[in-house]
Amino acid sequence: MKPVPAAPRRRRKRLDLTPWLFLAPAIMFFLVYVVVPIGQSISISFLEWDGLGEKKWIGLQNYQDLLKDEAFYVSLKNNLIWLVLYLLAIPAGLFLALFLNQTVTGMRLYKSLFFFPFVISNVVVGLIFSWFYTPDFGLMPKIIGFFTGEEIAVLANESLATYGIVAAGLWPQIAYCMILYLTGLNSINPELVEAARLDDAKGFKMLWYVILPQLRPATFIALVVTVIGALRSFDLVAIMTVGGPWGSSRVLSYFMFEQSLSEYGTSMGYGAAIAVVLFAIMLVFITMFIVRMIIQERTA
Amino acid sequence: MFPTPIERTQPRTRFAYKVFLPIALILWLLPLLGVALTSVKPAADLDSGNYFGAPSRIAIENYWLVFKNSNIGYYFWNSIKVTVPSVLVSIGLSLLAGFALATYSFRSNLIIFFMIVAGNYVPYQILAIPVRDLPININLYDTTLGLALTHIAFQTGFCTLFMRNFIKALPNALIESARVEGVSEWRIFCYIVVPLVRPAIAALSVLIFTFVWNEYFWATIMSQSVDVRPVTAGINELSGEWKARWELISAASILTAAPPVLMFFLMQKHFIAGLALGATKG
Amino acid sequence: MAKVKLSGIRKSFGQSEVIKGIDLEIPAGSFCAFVGPSGCGKSTLLRMIAGLEDITHGSLEIGGQEMIDVAPAKRGVAMVFQSYALYPHMTVAENVTFGLRMANHPKRDTEQRCLEAARMLKLEELLDRKPSQLSGGQRQRVAIGRAIVRNPDVFLFDEPLSNLDAALRVEMRAEITRLHAKLDATMLYVTHDQVEAMTMADMIVVLDKGMIEQVGSPLGLYHEPNTLFVARFIGSPRMNTFSVNLCDAGDGNVSCMLPGGSSIQLDGSSLRTGKATFGIRPEHLDVVADGHLQGKAVLCERLGSETMLHVDIGLADPITVKADGLTNVTEGDAVGLKLNPKACHLFGPDDRRVRSGSLQ
Ligand SMILES: Nc1ncnc2c1ncn2[C@@H]1O[C@H](COP(=O)(O)OP(=O)(O)O)[C@@H](O)[C@H]1O
Ligand SMILES: [Mg+2]
Repeated sequence: MKPVPAAPRRRRKRLDLTPWLFLAPAIMFFLVYVVVPIGQSISISFLEWDGLGEKKWIGLQNYQDLLKDEAFYVSLKNNLIWLVLYLLAIPAGLFLALFLNQTVTGMRLYKSLFFFPFVISNVVVGLIFSWFYTPDFGLMPKIIGFFTGEEIAVLANESLATYGIVAAGLWPQIAYCMILYLTGLNSINPELVEAARLDDAKGFKMLWYVILPQLRPATFIALVVTVIGALRSFDLVAIMTVGGPWGSSRVLSYFMFEQSLSEYGTSMGYGAAIAVVLFAIMLVFITMFIVRMIIQERTA
Repeated sequence: MFPTPIERTQPRTRFAYKVFLPIALILWLLPLLGVALTSVKPAADLDSGNYFGAPSRIAIENYWLVFKNSNIGYYFWNSIKVTVPSVLVSIGLSLLAGFALATYSFRSNLIIFFMIVAGNYVPYQILAIPVRDLPININLYDTTLGLALTHIAFQTGFCTLFMRNFIKALPNALIESARVEGVSEWRIFCYIVVPLVRPAIAALSVLIFTFVWNEYFWATIMSQSVDVRPVTAGINELSGEWKARWELISAASILTAAPPVLMFFLMQKHFIAGLALGATKG
Repeated sequence: MAKVKLSGIRKSFGQSEVIKGIDLEIPAGSFCAFVGPSGCGKSTLLRMIAGLEDITHGSLEIGGQEMIDVAPAKRGVAMVFQSYALYPHMTVAENVTFGLRMANHPKRDTEQRCLEAARMLKLEELLDRKPSQLSGGQRQRVAIGRAIVRNPDVFLFDEPLSNLDAALRVEMRAEITRLHAKLDATMLYVTHDQVEAMTMADMIVVLDKGMIEQVGSPLGLYHEPNTLFVARFIGSPRMNTFSVNLCDAGDGNVSCMLPGGSSIQLDGSSLRTGKATFGIRPEHLDVVADGHLQGKAVLCERLGSETMLHVDIGLADPITVKADGLTNVTEGDAVGLKLNPKACHLFGPDDRRVRSGSLQ
């Protein structure tokens, strides 16, 4: 056998470098805007800092304060309400999708119009619903008044404000889940449905045993975007109530904003601690989702 | 097809469906229709308590007044200045990164991919304090570029996820065949991959346009002056100023919502295809 | 034209070893077919030769040059993929010349070669079409044309005909054989279809589970299979096999106890006693009134030129017999089968040949 020439070994090195050249710009952004800031935020959460002046190391003081802060528990409770109620978007979206999965003339336009709320900015959704809820001008108090005899200003009511905001959030979220399910329904093999029909599967049984298993990828995505969306909720709270009345509709993300980012918010350390708690909560969900995706990627 | 196609049901069901469909749509869009209606009501109608009835006349001048009484014209322009480069750059970067993650098997491939997926889902608040300080240090705070860079960073993650899955779904033999022919990796990227992912580029353009245009959190914390502030942040400020001038707030809302809605209708097929790719790939 | 030499080639994907040590020398200018059941590692082997997969261990020479660290494009090979791998956004002409254009090959010559390949493959009319406007057979030709214009020393084909219908497959088989004669190149051809290998190749490599079972000419493999696997893989309908007991009959002969009680004396077996697997091809069995085996016809497939009889002799699987096209045996008939002793194969307990039924 001839001796293996040594020179061409270099080629392999270069081939190994190629993917990194393609990845470099995206990874740069990712490091600078995501990875490093997470580390910085965590370290800020151990400081007392107004954003400009001296930084003072106070250890876990911010977290201890947080545990004694009523506003923190209110935010946590509201986040939980968001999470639970937001999940309704999934069955509601499925229901809408099943309702619209027909081929009547003009169906495409109907589907687009039903999808409309998702395309509109949360800011506009917030304004629309604020108007919808306002006493005198809005429709909602009239509707409530019609049934209960008493016109209630939802957003001005401490115990109702969060529910009012969640309802506004559900509007685009249902539309989103609907479109996920519509495309999922579209990709089901029609022969499968026909085979099931011949096996005499009908209505709910068909849905449960044949259709829903086929829609699992859509359900998974719907679950991911809904859970993440619920925990990230910020826009609607900021626009509809600014956390009020009397802080009753705060969520963690808005609480953090108030503490560190708003006009009067200068407690960077305290805000960072809130953000760390929110991040930790979301990390539980993110990890669950990623593990499932990895399993799927492995088996694919 | 599931449920049973309506054409194959009893005439009575079919009739009920066709009647109920538009009613359902109106109920679904009721808040939006209300705002649209209010936006063309003359102020006098609202003052005299005509909240829900038909407008006494179509007051298009509300829209004109919005422009005259506010900086919304600037805000619109700012939004465009932020959105367009964000869309272009994040798609460009994700094309490169998605190509690398989809076609090379190197050891940390999946780790990087899932880091990017995870990065996509973190709450913005954990990033906000350092990210806001970032442009301050390099004199980009309260500039369009500073805001656009932030958007690019966060949208690139989503786009990379999307592109990687799309490129991975292309037949691998196309790329390998070019490799056997001695085509360089860069040229494979330019001449084979980019032309083949055009549908993905179209889909992403609409999605990212919508996401960036509609974004609120970064818009508020990263911009202050009139010639930087995007329309989402601007309009919320205006609604505070205008208090009960609902006809103006409504008109401004409709204006803000218009570009993504228009985009959606023009490129509907791509928009849905983009979301669908997420749904069937997940 | 170049010789291809593989020595001690191994390939692992993570923990699992897929190619387990291949030593093989393919002479320049030969048409070598790799056959084996799907999943046995044929494509992997071919892709390693092309340079699309790293070689975990071993050495590869093409035309006498070590290729392990040479880029795919520099190996002088061209590959035709099973899926054709045509670029959907380019016309036929652009597809065919893509590699040359990317290499900044002189324009004049590029066109020249494209036209020549088109003429050879009857693609002249189709040069401006997109792949989506072509039939399966035409796409196949374009894929081959793309390989031809590069003037490679070695052509690599990975199951190129498996997406075509039966009639086209026969036609393209002849066409590729003709190209081989004309182009004067070494061709490596992967297929899971032994008929393709038998009809086209002058050298066949039978693979199973990442190892070479046997290398030989088509008739060599047919008549002298080294292992039970090759015996059953090559030939259609496949060889009949069943287990028998051997005992020494003296004079260098062994006596095989056949199912049904009778026995047959065979010469030249290296295994003298014990259990063995007996093999005989369908055409080497004759229907007679009173033969070595007795059974009942359970199925008669009349093909016109011949009739395939499936005869139940009390084993799990019926025996296949190739009988005359005009035979009057029908389902349910009792038949006797006579064995030609020269055509009887014997395989030992390790499934390796102990006696060859090469008719000699
Ligand atoms: N990229 C890969 N990663 C892991 N296993 C692989 C890969 N490619 C092929 N294999 C495995 O290697 C074996 C041989 O595959 P292949 O060469 O494609 O078989 P063939 O072409 O003979 O049908 C199969 O078991 C297959 O699962
Ligand atoms: Mg194969």
